[in-house]
Amino acid sequence: MSSLSVILLTGALVAAACALLGSFVLVRKMAMMTDAISHAILPGIVAAYFLAKGPNLIAGFVGAAAAGLLTVAFVEALQRSRKVTKEAAIGIVFPALFALGVLITSRFFADVHLDADAVLYGSIELAAEDLLLVGDRSLGPQALWVMGGLLLVDLAFVLLLYKELKLATFDPALAASLGFPPVWLHYALMAMVSVTAVGGFTAVGAVLVVALFIVPPATAFLLTDRLPRLIALSVLLGVGGAIAGTLAAFALDTSVAGAIASVTGLIFGLALLFSPTQGLLRRAWRLAAQLPRLP
Amino acid sequence: MRWFALAILLPLVAACTQNAVQTGDLAGRPIRVVATTGMVADLVENIGGERVEVAALMGPGVDPHLYKPTAGDVRRLEAADVIFYNGLELEGRMTDTFVKLARSGKPTVAVTEDLPEAALREPDEFEGKYDPHVWFDVTLWREAAKTVARQLSRLDPASADVYAGNLATYDAMLVELHRYVEDQTATLPPSARVLVTAHDAFGYFGARYGFEVRGLQGVSTATEASAADVRDLAAFLCARGVKAIFVETSVAPATVEAVRRAANANGCAVTLGGELYSDALGPAETPAGTYIGMVRANIDTIVRALR
Repeated sequence: MSSLSVILLTGALVAAACALLGSFVLVRKMAMMTDAISHAILPGIVAAYFLAKGPNLIAGFVGAAAAGLLTVAFVEALQRSRKVTKEAAIGIVFPALFALGVLITSRFFADVHLDADAVLYGSIELAAEDLLLVGDRSLGPQALWVMGGLLLVDLAFVLLLYKELKLATFDPALAASLGFPPVWLHYALMAMVSVTAVGGFTAVGAVLVVALFIVPPATAFLLTDRLPRLIALSVLLGVGGAIAGTLAAFALDTSVAGAIASVTGLIFGLALLFSPTQGLLRRAWRLAAQLPRLP
Repeated sequence: MRWFALAILLPLVAACTQNAVQTGDLAGRPIRVVATTGMVADLVENIGGERVEVAALMGPGVDPHLYKPTAGDVRRLEAADVIFYNGLELEGRMTDTFVKLARSGKPTVAVTEDLPEAALREPDEFEGKYDPHVWFDVTLWREAAKTVARQLSRLDPASADVYAGNLATYDAMLVELHRYVEDQTATLPPSARVLVTAHDAFGYFGARYGFEVRGLQGVSTATEASAADVRDLAAFLCARGVKAIFVETSVAPATVEAVRRAANANGCAVTLGGELYSDALGPAETPAGTYIGMVRANIDTIVRALR
């Protein structure tokens, strides 16, 4: 495969996996969770560095995923206490974890390269060069394996638990009375979010994952208010944005991640203006129609 | 179901793939080389001469610890016959990618790969992790030049004589450069040989040429300097009567400026000695646009400010 096709395919896989879970995250009003995780994984990376005695991608991934799960657990617990709002819970947990990582780094590892950029974050531009090796034999680009695997797991999760997830999201009381406690579903969903986000970070970097988790579902939310349509539209918009962004980046010789994030932002802007149901133009039109005609 | 949309889209993307075949014949055309930093690119250009066409990923003023490639880099990497990089984790997470690429059979060379372990500086925390900024010890860069010549000859045996000749010429220039740095250093009184910069890029330089080196940020530019670091360094400057501290072209100057102000507040006349080239060459058209010019510019700046 050429580098361009590996990057296109990787981008599409990341977009699909992120949008799939992102739709639920958005509806649960926890859109900033992935951004929070991208910071909160630092202590996990530091711990992995310490245990593996150096930068090691697999140890880094496990450490980061563990820290991500910890973030999720803390946020859910804090939010469940009902003392703070959801976004405040996120805002309390991730700076605390990030700061812990910074403190340990500056105290014990002042002279080594130790941060998410140097140890963990991949870049989609290098997707074709970053190979998965068994021994010295190449099995092809690592990002395709990681993101393909995560997409399959996410897809299975959503398909198997679709009804439960829907009910737990929109009517937690009914869900509980029917015998599946929404607490555990939320933990499970957010655990999937954490692992998918960290996997995405290693494959394509943080900016792209955060953008693709949030922007395509937010765009789809302007165009429909039915959950199945929201999910399908999110995935389509994310995959479309990834492909258009990659092609734009190659035409303009710029950062692929930056171009994809920009294109998804642009699509959001268009939807905001021109959505047939909720667009700003539509609303202005309706307002104008209601004004009494001047004699 | 709506998942069909997904199921249709993905294979569509996969379908527009075609194999990029590398042509093996190097006799009729120059070797296409991708180098990461400007220093590595300059080295390969000097050894390869007319036989190589070198593209550097990281331009002047770019921090290699945090570099993110662009779409153009993807094309250059794909078309490359061989990739040369610094290694010792200078290129951050990209190093990991290059190591795997080398193992999978693509010609990928760390110019530092033949340096003996005894020559490398180890930070205190862990064994086996090395300071990557080897190029400021000119004698180590001479070893890197030999590695490049050996690897180019392996790839293109027909031109081995060319590479050996270029190596001999360039090595003589490096020997002269080494002597120049030593001579310049000798003009400073030993007590003035203290080099304070933004991050620890000058460890090898200090060890080879007899400077005591203090950095603010540690080896990686990603670690932030703490308030205590700034205070300690300011106190150190006052205690030792250091005349000047230095900014680096690829690191933001704010922290160095903070140290200068803290030292001045303590009543010591520390000035900013000027800009040193650390992790990147200067702009192409300037004298510091080559490795030799960069090392000369640095030692001139240092000696001028500390004398």
